[in-house]
Amino acid sequence: MKKKPVSLTALALAATTLLAACGNDASNNAASSNAASSAPASGSSGASASAPASGEKVKLSIWHNFSGDDLRAQAVRAQIDKFKAAHPEIELDAQAIPPDGYRQRLKTVAAAGEMPDVFFTQSGTSIQEFYDGGLIQPITPLLDKYPEWKNNFMEGALDRLSFDGQAYATPLSGSATSLFFYNKSLFDKYQVKVPTTWDELMTAIKTFNDNKITPISLGNKAAWLAQSSILSSLADRVTGTDWFLKAASQDGASFTDPEFVQALQLFKDLSEAKAFQTGANSLDNTQMEQYFVEGKAAMMIDGSWALTNMAATGTPEQLDQVEVTVLPSLPGGKGDPNSISGGSGGGMALSKTVTGAKLDAALELIYAIGGPEGMQAIVNSNSVVNYKVEPDQAVVTPLFYKAFTLFKSVKLTPVYDAYLTSAAADVINNGLQDLLLTGKPEAVAKKLQDAQAQALGK
Amino acid sequence: MTNSGRLRAFIAVGLLPTLFIYAVFVLVPIVWSAYYGFFDWKGIGASKFIGFDNYAEALGDPIFWKAFKNNLIIVAASIFGQLPIALVLSLILRKSTFFQRFVRSAVFMPMVVASVVIGMIWGYIYHPQIGILNFLLEQFGLGSWIRDWLGDPSINMYAVSAPVIWANIGPYLVLFIAAIQNISSEVEDAAKIDGAVKSKWLYMIVVPMIWDTIKVAIVLCISGSLKAFDLIYIMTGGGPAQSTELLATYMYNNTFEVFRYGYGSAVSTLIILISMVLVLGSQLLMRRK
Repeated sequence: MKKKPVSLTALALAATTLLAACGNDASNNAASSNAASSAPASGSSGASASAPASGEKVKLSIWHNFSGDDLRAQAVRAQIDKFKAAHPEIELDAQAIPPDGYRQRLKTVAAAGEMPDVFFTQSGTSIQEFYDGGLIQPITPLLDKYPEWKNNFMEGALDRLSFDGQAYATPLSGSATSLFFYNKSLFDKYQVKVPTTWDELMTAIKTFNDNKITPISLGNKAAWLAQSSILSSLADRVTGTDWFLKAASQDGASFTDPEFVQALQLFKDLSEAKAFQTGANSLDNTQMEQYFVEGKAAMMIDGSWALTNMAATGTPEQLDQVEVTVLPSLPGGKGDPNSISGGSGGGMALSKTVTGAKLDAALELIYAIGGPEGMQAIVNSNSVVNYKVEPDQAVVTPLFYKAFTLFKSVKLTPVYDAYLTSAAADVINNGLQDLLLTGKPEAVAKKLQDAQAQALGK
Repeated sequence: MTNSGRLRAFIAVGLLPTLFIYAVFVLVPIVWSAYYGFFDWKGIGASKFIGFDNYAEALGDPIFWKAFKNNLIIVAASIFGQLPIALVLSLILRKSTFFQRFVRSAVFMPMVVASVVIGMIWGYIYHPQIGILNFLLEQFGLGSWIRDWLGDPSINMYAVSAPVIWANIGPYLVLFIAAIQNISSEVEDAAKIDGAVKSKWLYMIVVPMIWDTIKVAIVLCISGSLKAFDLIYIMTGGGPAQSTELLATYMYNNTFEVFRYGYGSAVSTLIILISMVLVLGSQLLMRRK
């Protein structure tokens, strides 16, 4: 049926006309606040493609969603402001748009062919849409120009932002979803060895249970948590990354393969060994983090977002007890044990229409935000980046410093739901909840396989 | 034109705006939704006509039927929980002393509280670690009754029914009080003279005389319960492992979490059909009486 897309496009066009009308003097618009406010009112930016080298100013527009008051958003805005101050010959129209409606607004202007010259986009499917639409151009020349910068990105950091061997953006943030947190004092008190192998983990679970301490804090009400934090890493330990990528694309591997069933069985074993607190399926992520930071549980497997959350809720004494490492290794597993599941966030992409002097200016702007200096500023705001940089210990929290040091030293493996179709991700999320109750690994594996195969039409 | 004819014309004209709004915002979307149910559509991008595949898939999905069964539990809890409680309360509270008015407002209060708030409150009542319910059970020496109320699939449907009953008694109470106040005092006096005790008075006078109201209440109960969504979405989100999935949460998850708009549309159309069948069925049953 063609009806629906057509009417949607019509709607988008109508909305765009409205937006475009607002857009012309948007740099004075209240909504564009902060970074944008000091720029003089300028005309539409997409109009004059190549500005002459001298005399006239180069007009450049940038859209991003770092509009909040959090440290990271401030750090990014500061980089843009610095660029503006250092380049009086460039007339920069910067718009900070609140994250909630950001993607929709960007899509609307994309439909109307009025893209900003430089814009922030998420990695994965988001940037893929712009690539498929032929709306962006690679920034590989920039990366080649600064090889030291390029080589400092962690392995695979650019994967979800690249197509056909060309990078279209560099990540401004990274994430780790399976950091293994543990409470040092509890481990000391009960003389438990911090587990580095699966057997040691099971021993630790038993000891803590005997002493009436919850071994591992888990709040899986929202269902993605066990998948994103535990399974992504645990299954990778068993199956190896290659197997997962094949199974995810349903090309040469199936989720009913014995190695994946074994991974699910290991998760089930944890549950049967009473590793998690009662009611893990009805607690949420925040409650789980609080439970751990209060010292009621000895361990927790959670993502890098927990660093900020715990810093916000825990006392300094509580946070001092928290240590972080990688998930224990599995003897005989095919995966690299020194790894954490994680990925890259989005970055600044470059519109295809930008050429000439404007192109040079745009590339410099991208470098100013996502280059070494920008990466340093972002990491100093307690945010994980997929870039080898040393955080300033005087500025960041000690826990973040520990976690980021660890993050830099490990390999990143795929997060399950970033590669599965949304239907399959939903199935595995529910399946893991079921395993915490009465579910059978074989049945869950079968359902996941069916869902992924059906969604991919295979 | 006669007077009554003019009145009728006036009523018709007066109804037009409502009818128009109803058509635009209720009838048309229902038809459209049934139509989208024939497509494989992700919400954006191209859609593909697939005939009755979505409908067949829903009817063949065990989770759909589980959700339907859970919905029936809510329907039963509403009819056999809300209505009797509301009826008894309305008998107790039909006078208007200060105390009675106070209790009446207290019973009605959940209706004016946002369902998100109610869901959160009951979520904390049932909380596996800090929940007041488990705490009270322990205090009264009933430690063996302690459960993970929302996490244990063998009981969580009943656990989530309790707040649904609690939150929705109010309107039925009001409905019944109004109906009972309409019973003329002569009837009550005559019954008293004939020696009817309280329970007999309830069965033989009150229930038959407000039967029409009760029928309306039952229909409201059924349709309301099939729409049930908000409280359960807040408390469990349909989980764990889809054990508290309702038709509405099933539809919502498929549409907005998995992005299968066509499938979600087909499911919502099925919900409408099921509701219609149940409401008509209950009407037929009660007519026979």
